[in-house]
Amino acid sequence: MRITDLLNVESIKLNATPKNKQEAIDELIDLQVKGGKIADREAYKEGILARETVSTTAVGEGIAIPHAKSDAVKAPSLAAITVPNGVDYEAMDGEPSTLLFMIAAPNDGDVHLEVLSRLMTMLMDEDFKNKLLSAKDKNEFLKIIDDTEKAKYPDETKAVVENDGRIRVLAVTACPTGIAHTYMAAEALENAGKKLGITVKAETNGSGGAKNVLTKEEIEACDGIIIAADKTVDMARFDGKRVIRTKVSDGIKIPKELIERIEKGDAPVYHHTGAKAADESTEGESFGRKLYKHLMNGVSNMLPFTVAGGIFIALAFLIDTIAGAPQDSSFGTYTALAAFFKNIGGYAFSFMIPVLAGYIGKSIADRPGFLVGLVGGFLATTGSTFANLAGEVPSGFLGALLAGFAGGYLMLGVEKLCDHMPKSLNGIKPVLIYPLVGLGMIAVLMCAVNPFMGMINVGVSNFLNNMGNTSKIVLGCILGGMMAIDMGGPFNKAAYVFGTAAIASSGYDIMAAVMIGGMVPPIAIALSTTFFKNRWTDEERKNGAVNYIMGLSFITEGAIPYAASDPIRVIPSCMVGAAVAGGLSMAFKCTLMAPHGGIFVFAVVGNWPLYVLSLAIGSLVSMVMLTLLKKKRTDA
Amino acid sequence: MVTKKVTVVNEQGVHMRPAGIIAKVVKEHPECEVTLIANGKEAKAKAPMQIMAACMKQGCEVEIVCNGADEQAVVDEIAALFESGFDE
Repeated sequence: MRITDLLNVESIKLNATPKNKQEAIDELIDLQVKGGKIADREAYKEGILARETVSTTAVGEGIAIPHAKSDAVKAPSLAAITVPNGVDYEAMDGEPSTLLFMIAAPNDGDVHLEVLSRLMTMLMDEDFKNKLLSAKDKNEFLKIIDDTEKAKYPDETKAVVENDGRIRVLAVTACPTGIAHTYMAAEALENAGKKLGITVKAETNGSGGAKNVLTKEEIEACDGIIIAADKTVDMARFDGKRVIRTKVSDGIKIPKELIERIEKGDAPVYHHTGAKAADESTEGESFGRKLYKHLMNGVSNMLPFTVAGGIFIALAFLIDTIAGAPQDSSFGTYTALAAFFKNIGGYAFSFMIPVLAGYIGKSIADRPGFLVGLVGGFLATTGSTFANLAGEVPSGFLGALLAGFAGGYLMLGVEKLCDHMPKSLNGIKPVLIYPLVGLGMIAVLMCAVNPFMGMINVGVSNFLNNMGNTSKIVLGCILGGMMAIDMGGPFNKAAYVFGTAAIASSGYDIMAAVMIGGMVPPIAIALSTTFFKNRWTDEERKNGAVNYIMGLSFITEGAIPYAASDPIRVIPSCMVGAAVAGGLSMAFKCTLMAPHGGIFVFAVVGNWPLYVLSLAIGSLVSMVMLTLLKKKRTDA
Repeated sequence: MVTKKVTVVNEQGVHMRPAGIIAKVVKEHPECEVTLIANGKEAKAKAPMQIMAACMKQGCEVEIVCNGADEQAVVDEIAALFESGFDE
């Protein structure tokens, strides 16, 4: 914020002759009002006078800086008068004041202190002060300030000159769930840009689709693009621009560094290579990270099917329970209404596994990979083998993972091989050759592995279903704890994917334990900020209430800012509470068929009163641990 | 010479009023020279203008350097001002 941005010609008066402090204040306020940033003159004057009664704002050496932060101020601004003969402003050193600046600051923000600091730094220079006092006209007065400011703050003036309102850095943020991280990264990047004086625009590829979409003109005009994403984003549009590709968490943690890298030109120029999404991943991105990204792309596309299907099926059971249907094989389809929900939900469910595999394949090999993954995933659900094409034992979730990954990478191989084909065939490659070869390959592969994958799948299901109560409780504890370790990171996602996979093989109790584990951390933090205020900073307390909503909606990410500021105390507390809740949920045999939704799906939770109890106990445990571990703050 | 590090705790930072309070305390001990170091800037603590020029915001680390008579007492007194948030 530069002085000359705040002070304009209308708000300056040279050679004023106020008789006393009151007159000086009135003149300055009139000038402020002329500047146009004051909404309510009287309210602002009240603020100025109130400030003067606390102590004088004449800091000595002929300088006075009356100031007020007030709601009556629309935007920060300055007014100035010179009084060559001096006016008695009750200065700290008893000397008359000759140079008076009045600051108007809105109630929010810390512009005020910066302006004050800058004015003081410049006014300490005797030479500068004398030049101002002898300025011939208002424009010269402004020019003296401008020149001195440029000399004292060279870096900044340069930045301001360069900032011609053009959007210089663009960003795309995306995370698999698309609820929290996507938006946190976008906000962090835009804020970091503001601090650096660089305009940043961030497109969010969240669960509701892309928002704040980058336009073609913006992409052309920008210096570079930051892709902070844990899933694939549309890259073709960035051909020929400087692009940094990184994790979404880097967008939250090191936004400043990313922006500075773009501005320094320290980012490779991106060349779009068409279909080969896997080959164009971030330089140095580990193989494991790539796999994770592809998997998450599949999971995020599968989730809507799981959520809607799961809730429909659960509703069917709920309806039949209310209708008093017999607990036999017709349960869930006994009444016509229940049958409707059960069947439709079941259809949605049947897309789950093919969609998962299809989008993994698409993430690896772009469009050609989609067919391969989708059909491969479908073959996993039918369990087709060479011996019995109609299918025997479905290979389920595991088979789908294999279909997606193997299909995607096979497809990449096929594309490479096809590079050697005559150019004249290029046109028919994507419409005929890729699909045909891909379909053949995935069919052979799935028929070959289905018997084995099926056995493993049945084995795992049997193992989980026959697990003794104790081991199930242990499993619940582990999964619950995992949800709270990194709140949206790989551990959390691993547990979560396991939970959704368990739904696919009807282990509904596992999903219940997973979800409760993810709900505990934000709720515990919200409780702690409500009941043990002295453990948290002002800001943390203010945002605490939001965490009730986050927690109840199963958005574990809400706890991240709290965990990030004090991980050693917050994360273990959350983990223990989440583990307790997960274990209890298992012990009470609570079930959940929807993999998301928090409190909004409690109506369809099996054994819900005890589920609520488990949640309450887990949250209380976490809260107590937080209270014990975190130190009291002295300023509260 | 004694030094002490403190953190600015009050929300508004060291604006004019706190700067005036610090300068007033320092002037009560003319035999002791007090310097505040923050943001890489040095400020003579008897001059409120210099203190404000250092732009000490909330959370900012400030080193108090005292040199002269009663230096320990003076450093403690000024540190206490910072820690109390200047009663804001």
